[in-house]
This record gives sequence, C-alpha cells and structure tokens, in this order.
Amino acid sequence: MAVAEIIPPSRFETSRRLFLKRGFGSPGSLAISVIVFVVLGWIAWSFLDWAVLRAVWRQENVEACGQGGACWAVIDARHRLILFGTYPFGEHWRSALAALAIIATVVLSCLPAMWQARRLAALWVLGFASYYLLMEGSLLGLPQVTTDGWGGLSLTLFLFAAVVLLGMPMGLGLALMRRSEMPVVRWFAMGLIDTIRSLPLVTTLFTAAVVVPLFLPSWLEGDKIWRVIIAFALFFACYQAEVFRGGFQAIPKGQVEAGKALGLGYWSILGRIVLPQVFRHALPSTINMVVVTFKETAIVTIIGFFDILASGKTAFGTAEWAPYYIEVYLFVAAIYWVFIFSLGQYGEYLKRRMTLSER
Amino acid sequence: MSKFLAAGAIVAASLAAPQMAAAQSETVKQIEERGTLLCSGHNGSYFGFVEVNDNNEWKGLDIDLCRALTTAILGDPTKNQIVPLSWAQRFPALQSGDVDVIIKATGWTMGRDTEQGLQFSLPYFFGGAQLMAHGDLGVTEASGLAGGTICVEAGTTIERLVANYLNTENIEHNMVSYESAAELRSAYLANRCDAFAAWGPFLAVLRATEIDNPDAHVILDDQLSAEPIAAAMRQGDENFVDVVNWMLAALLIAEEEGVTSENVEEMAATPPNPRVARLLGAEPGIGERLGMRDSWAREMIAAVGNFGEIYDRNLGKDSPYKLERGLNNLWSHGGVLYAPILD
Amino acid sequence: MQAALVVVTLLAVWGAVSNAQYNLTRLNMTSGFGFLERGTGWNYSFSLVERSINDSYAYTLFIGLLNTLFVGFICIVTTTIFGFLIGTMRDVRHPALRFAASVYVQIFRNIPLILQAIFLYAILIHMGGPRQAVSLGDVAFLSGRGAMLPGLNVSPTVAVALLLASLALGVALILARPVFWRGLALWAGGSLGLALAVALVLRPEGESLLSLPELQGLRFTGGISVPIELFALIAAITLYGSAYVAEIVRGGLAQVPRGLVEAGQALGLSRAAIWSRIKVPMALRSIIPPLGNQWIFMMKATTIGIAIGFSDLFYITVNAISQSGQTLELIAMLMLTFLAINYSIALFTNWLNARLQLKEH
Repeated sequence: MAVAEIIPPSRFETSRRLFLKRGFGSPGSLAISVIVFVVLGWIAWSFLDWAVLRAVWRQENVEACGQGGACWAVIDARHRLILFGTYPFGEHWRSALAALAIIATVVLSCLPAMWQARRLAALWVLGFASYYLLMEGSLLGLPQVTTDGWGGLSLTLFLFAAVVLLGMPMGLGLALMRRSEMPVVRWFAMGLIDTIRSLPLVTTLFTAAVVVPLFLPSWLEGDKIWRVIIAFALFFACYQAEVFRGGFQAIPKGQVEAGKALGLGYWSILGRIVLPQVFRHALPSTINMVVVTFKETAIVTIIGFFDILASGKTAFGTAEWAPYYIEVYLFVAAIYWVFIFSLGQYGEYLKRRMTLSER
Repeated sequence: MSKFLAAGAIVAASLAAPQMAAAQSETVKQIEERGTLLCSGHNGSYFGFVEVNDNNEWKGLDIDLCRALTTAILGDPTKNQIVPLSWAQRFPALQSGDVDVIIKATGWTMGRDTEQGLQFSLPYFFGGAQLMAHGDLGVTEASGLAGGTICVEAGTTIERLVANYLNTENIEHNMVSYESAAELRSAYLANRCDAFAAWGPFLAVLRATEIDNPDAHVILDDQLSAEPIAAAMRQGDENFVDVVNWMLAALLIAEEEGVTSENVEEMAATPPNPRVARLLGAEPGIGERLGMRDSWAREMIAAVGNFGEIYDRNLGKDSPYKLERGLNNLWSHGGVLYAPILD
Repeated sequence: MQAALVVVTLLAVWGAVSNAQYNLTRLNMTSGFGFLERGTGWNYSFSLVERSINDSYAYTLFIGLLNTLFVGFICIVTTTIFGFLIGTMRDVRHPALRFAASVYVQIFRNIPLILQAIFLYAILIHMGGPRQAVSLGDVAFLSGRGAMLPGLNVSPTVAVALLLASLALGVALILARPVFWRGLALWAGGSLGLALAVALVLRPEGESLLSLPELQGLRFTGGISVPIELFALIAAITLYGSAYVAEIVRGGLAQVPRGLVEAGQALGLSRAAIWSRIKVPMALRSIIPPLGNQWIFMMKATTIGIAIGFSDLFYITVNAISQSGQTLELIAMLMLTFLAINYSIALFTNWLNARLQLKEH
C-alpha cells in the first residue's frame, strides 16, 4: 500500500503539469501564451491558406494562377530544371540516381554500424565513385556529359560530397601538423588555418576559380570545378582541423605514454589508440561542420556554377513564370531545410547520447 | 618551370624552321590535341546571343560563331564546349586558359586591348547602348530620368558608357549594377529601377519576348554610343587571330556571294567565280596559308550557314526577336560589315 | 622533415611566382599598382561619402571598405541585440515563448544565408516604386527602392563622424569598466545626446532639426535613404546571424550555476533583476569567445552583397577586376584587408573577454 503512494508521477505527467503551470499559471503568463499562439496561429493559417487551400498545383491549370494562392504549377513545370540543371533531358535518370547515391551515402554514414574509419572511407569513396561514373557516363558506356553540363541539386550534392571526402583527410593532416613537435610544421599549419579561416569563403573560391591558374603551370590547372572543390576542401579542412584538435585535447596524455612504454611507434599509437578516440570525441562537431558545409555550397552560385540556387533562378527566368519567384525560392529553401534540419537534429541526438554515455 | 622549357622549345623550334610558310597557331594546336574548342557561355541567358533553350542546349549568335570556329578548326560543329561565365569572369578565364576565345558580346576597348593582354578580331556586330524605361513614367528621353534609378550589368562596357553619358548630360541618378543578367532582369521587372541600360538589340529582344506587355516599356531615343563587338583572344598568338578573322570573313564573303548551307556543295563543285572557288577550297590557298584544311570554310558553311543565315536564325526574321539587320548588314546593303579581300 | 617542408613550400612559392611572371609576360598583362590612381568611370549602388565616376580606383576601393565595415558593424550590433532577445526567450520557463523562439531558430538557421538574402531581396523589390511606397505615418516610407527614414539634418560626412564617435565612446566605456547595464545606458544616451547636439549646431540655416522624406518626381528627397540592397543585406544577415547568436546565448545562460539564481531568488530579486544582474553578467564569460567568432562571420558574410547588387568591398573588387584587369593586385589587396579586419576583431574580442573575466581575489 505505502509503496504505491510514493511512486513518483510519470515523466509525462510532470512535464504536462509544469507546462500548464508555467504557460497558464498566472494571468501574465496566460496573456503571453494567448498572444504568442494567436500570432503563430495566424501566420500558420495564412501560410496554409496560401500554400495549400488556394494553391494551383498542375501545369495544365496555370491560367488559374495569380488569384491569391500559391502557383505550384511552376514547380510542376520546371522541377526538372531545378533538380538537374542543364543536364541532357533524356539522361535525367542518371542525375537522379547519382543524387540518390550521395544521399544514401550520407544516410548510411549515420548508422553506428558504419562508424569505423575504414568503413566510412570505403562508403564515401564508393558513393562518390558511383555518382561520378553515373554523371560522367563514358566509363559505363553511356553518353558522356562533362562537368559543365552538371547542375541543380545534383551539382550541389556533388560539391558537398567532394568537399567532405577531400577535406576530411586534409583536415586530419592539418590537425596532426598543428600538434607536431617540430615548430616549422606547427607554424605552417597554424598560419594556413588562421589565414583561410579569416577569409570569406567566396573570396577563396573566387581566387581558386580566377586567379590560381595564373600561378600554375598549364598541366596542373585542371577544370575550374576541381580547382574550386579543392579550395573549398581546404576551407573545410581548416575548420575541421580545429574540430579534431578539440578531440585530441580530450585524450589523457597517459594513454600515449602507456603506448610508448609498450614500445609502440608514433603511427601505431596514433592509429590504434589516439585516433579512434579522437573521432569519437569529434563526432558531434564534425556533423556540425558537415551541415555547415552543405549550407555553404550555396555560395558557389556567385562564382558562376549552376547549382540548385542558380537553376532555381533560371526556373522563373521566363515571362511565363516570372511572377512566381516566391514558390520557386520556397521550394529550393525547403529542400535545403529538410537536409540541414534532419542532419542537424541527428547531430543534436548524437551529442545527447554521448553525454549520457559518458556519465 | 615547365613553361620556361616549353617556351624555350617553341623559340628554338621557330628559330630552327623560319622558312615554314604557314606557321600553325599555338592555340589551334592545343585545340586539336584536346579535340574540343572551349568557348565562353553565359551564366544564364543573354537573349539572342547566348541562351539556353528548352532542351537545355546552348544557342544564339555568339554560340553559332563558336560552332563555326569549331567546324573550321576541328571539322565538326559539336566538338565545342561552352563554359558558363559571368561578365566579370570572362577575361580572367581567357587569360587562365579556361576558354580559348571569348565570343560573348564583348566590346573592343583600348584598355582591354593594351593592358589586359587581349587582342580582338574584326568586329562582327555593331550595337549601341540604350535605355529602356517603364512606360508609366511617361519618359521618352534620358533627361526625363533625372533623380531616377538605373540598372545595369556589372563589369561591362555599358556600365561605363551609361555613367559617362548621364554625367555628361548632367542627369542626376542612382545606379545599381548586378553580376548576373537574370538578377538584373528581375530587378527591372520588379520596378527596382526606372530604367534598364543595355545594348539596343538586347533591349529590343527583351521587350519583344520576355515581357508580358511590350507597350508597358519604352526604349528611349538617346543613343549612348555604338560599340564594335568582336571576339577576344589571348595576346601572343597572332596566327589564332588570323584564323578567327578569316572565319568571320568567310562567313561574310559567303553571304555576299550567296553561298548558303543549302547550296554550298553545289557551289563547291561548280564555283560561279574565282572568289567562291577560293573560298570553298576548289582552288587551293585558303587552308594552307592558315595551317588548316582547304575545305574548312566549306564544312563551316555547311554546318552553320553564312553570316546572314546565322543572324536571321538567332536575331532576325527566323527568330522570335525579328530584329532588323540595320548597321549589321553587309556594306552592299547599307550596313557596315565587310570582309577583307580573299586573294 | 622540417627542412623538407620548408624546401617544398619555398619551391611551391617560387614555382607559383615564376609561373605568374611567365604568364603575365606571355599574355602581355601589365602589373603594378599604377591603375589605382586612374579614374574608374563606373558607378555603384551605395556609398556613405561623396562619390563620382571620376574617382580613382584607390578611392573607390576605400568606399567599398567603408561600406563593408559599415554593414558589418550594423549587423554585429543588430544581430547581437536580436540574438540576446531570442536566446533569452529560449531560456525562459514560459513554454509559448520558448516554442516561438525555437521555431524562429530552426527556420532561419537551417537555410543558407545567400538563399535567404536573395529571397528577401526578391520580395522587397517587388513592393513597387516610390509612388506605391508604404507610408508609416508620413514620416517613414518603405518601397521597392528602399526605406526612407526621418533623419537628423546633417551631411553624410558628419553622420559618419558621429558613428565613429559613438564607437569610440563604446570602447572608452568598456575601458572604464562601469557596471554592465549602466555602461550600456551611458553609451546609448551619450551617443544620442551627442548626435542631437551636433545636429543642432550644424544644421543648415533656418531648417528644422529633423529632415523628413518627401516624394518628389521619381524619388524621395530628404531624410535618410536606405537603399533596398543595404536594407535586404542587413535584414538577411541579422535574421540568420541572430539565430546563431541565440543558440550561443542560450548555451551561455544554461551554464550559469543554479545556485546563483537560487541565491538571487532568496534575496527576493525580481526575475528581470536576476536575469540582468546575475545571469547575463555570469554568462557573458562563456558567451564572448563564440560571439567573437560570430562577429567575424558577420564581417565575412557581407561579401554576399554581390549577389544582390550591394557595393561592398568584394563587389567593388570584382568589378574593378573586370574593368581594369588587374586581377592579382586587387585580389591580394582584398585578402590582406579581410585578414586585417578579422584579426582586429579577434584581438578586440580577446581583449573584451579579458576585461570581462572575474577578477581573481
């Protein structure tokens, strides 16, 4: 009998009570609640009314557009341009598959089963390679499409995957150089990291696209897109190096000394003792960096790449569709939002899980 | 380092073989090795000159000239690659070798010719900068724009022409310039600016096709200037300039002589006069002296047509824009285009 | 290993320089800084000081720098204020406020800044010309061209001087280390008073203290005209940046030990007093370092102005490159300038942080 009485109320019960008390407990807080919910409700309702209830959905009904509702007909008509850019029309299935390959790679790397440096590396190389083979096509015996023809969401995903794939080892290298006992190596890494971090990304990319070729012999120049990807990867690496540095600092010195006492060399200590823990510690911040990188890819539109932002602009760039720019921008924003929000929430979840397991 | 070696090798080679009559252009050699010609495109559409059609393919006057050049050099109009570039990026891209030639509505200026390491071909188009204003302002000439806002594309010659003109005329104004044509167009249509400064032909095209109601916009009477539009190339390869110049010349000569993409094979088989015979390679000379095939002009005309056909298809009577030839007609038809003499 | 790195770096630099020299001569491009004295011949959307198309490249680049610093400074102030507001809302116990604040953060933090800027700009310019302007009590107007606000009747140069004076006052106050809130009040009051006094003295003969915008022909005259590009850029950076600052502030407030808050409650302090006297001052120590990084981000973010036609330093540099062709010189100048600006901000925040640390007793 007595036992039943001291069972605490369930968690849900507690939070419900707290919610009611804090939100509606006093006249003041009640008033605030009412105001906030009325305002939010009004915004949500007007949006719903515009975007769903009064919207025109199909391309065939375009004449009905412009009467107070959203004109999603523009998306119906132009979504392939937004998603795939100027990629040859008949080959769009390749672009779609390639984009799916990158998305699958990102989703798979979120599974704890994949969290080993070797598996992750293999997964990303595989995902990236299948993207490239599908898009470029000549190695699979499909009609060749050079990088100039890539565009839209597929190009955004390509830039993102290439930057992360190249930037990750570069970042680790820079972090190791920064921890080096040799002063010159350390200064070099510090100088590079601080400089790149102080420059706006768009100037770095602009320099890579426009200025760098003047400094390179012609056999090293390569395609503009690769120069930009490498510069972007360097930018990623300089931030990621700081993330790794945080991970290194979390490892007690004793472990390295224990390794030395066992007679292990620098590389075995690094590979078997230090790095696995560094990766673990750095994981939440790394995911954060990956999210930021995905967001920052939008900047390439300034230096003339046909990414999803540029293809979105083209989608409403004709007289017929020009009035419906809001619909197109919302569509593009929603795509970005879904990617970034879900990755970000996953990062938050991991962070919570790891703090819990460390208690 | 390797460039020094390469440069040294070129110098040595040219010293060793001074008697060679037709020195082949260095750029042409690179294009042949690569198998593609790298041409300038646009970041978006520049109507009539560089645009992307519904099937995501490039088209326009400048694109056709690029195809003509590709056919002349490589014998196949599809072997070109169009590199999308903004106005600001076109010269750095040329200097860095991202493109082989700029055919992109580019005006011939002294600064570009002397300081930027460029050289220009014969002008292939003459266009004057003009202003287009919203009709509801009731303005017919630039002086009516006093106090207004004018939009223009950043980094172009137009930008300077307009600033200069309005300053000379003492018309007080605000100027907003954009990096991309798409942004500029939507800003004007959204009434961010009272007037839109651009090339006359471009404005006419825009007014005729891209705007729901053409009468709601007026192209003002003021002629800000006329610029000669030419292809731009890197300095240091004179032979390549020759190739581009004679490519343009061949298109004009073909139009003068009535050689079209339809009748070019008959004409080549039975040339009506010695000039056509030389042009189409029935009589040798046109190829060898440029270090190219004698048949290049014939193949080129078969692929893209003569200059008149190119104009009509992209800007003139066969296009949605229906622009008059005006200045851009042959000299014999009241225009200013003429070809050098093919001897 | 070290020697190898030095040798490889030197070789790479030497190779790059010699290649650049070779390329410049091969392409017959002029190098050097002589072009800086030549007139530009083009115009652009915004400048704080007088400008004309005859200005030299050097002066035009200087205007670009001023514009970048100006936008950056305004964004830093607005973002910090807004961020503290939203961050505090996320920290309070009221569920509705928390909910509203987190909706805000999740929307604006998860969409790329450049997309937000272009989107916002597109919406703003569709508001119509000056004749369709939205009037706010006939003293302020908002149209697709920009915001027209009532302003003090002083010349732009005086206005810039006043801004600088306000900045100097802020720094002096931080040096003097008054109580945080008193310092803030002194700064705001002092800046406003100074501006009013200067305007009283310097206004043109016989004109009123305030200058109000008025529709004349194609545009408004009088008052402060904020071009729509400037307005959109500041609004976009503020919306995006304050979502980040809010997270920083929330994190800082959450780290304040509960005991301190409970001590305040025991002393009978009101919630507002606990927030302003205990939580914020304590939280500042952990807020300032990431906030400084955010400020540097703001400065760098001004470069997206180019996408909406705002003449910031990057825009002016890119335009100067395409008009003059002096690519290497201009890019080098741009990079050095950004290094200098951001290094100064880093120094400032380090110093601020040192100032705000609790004194060791």
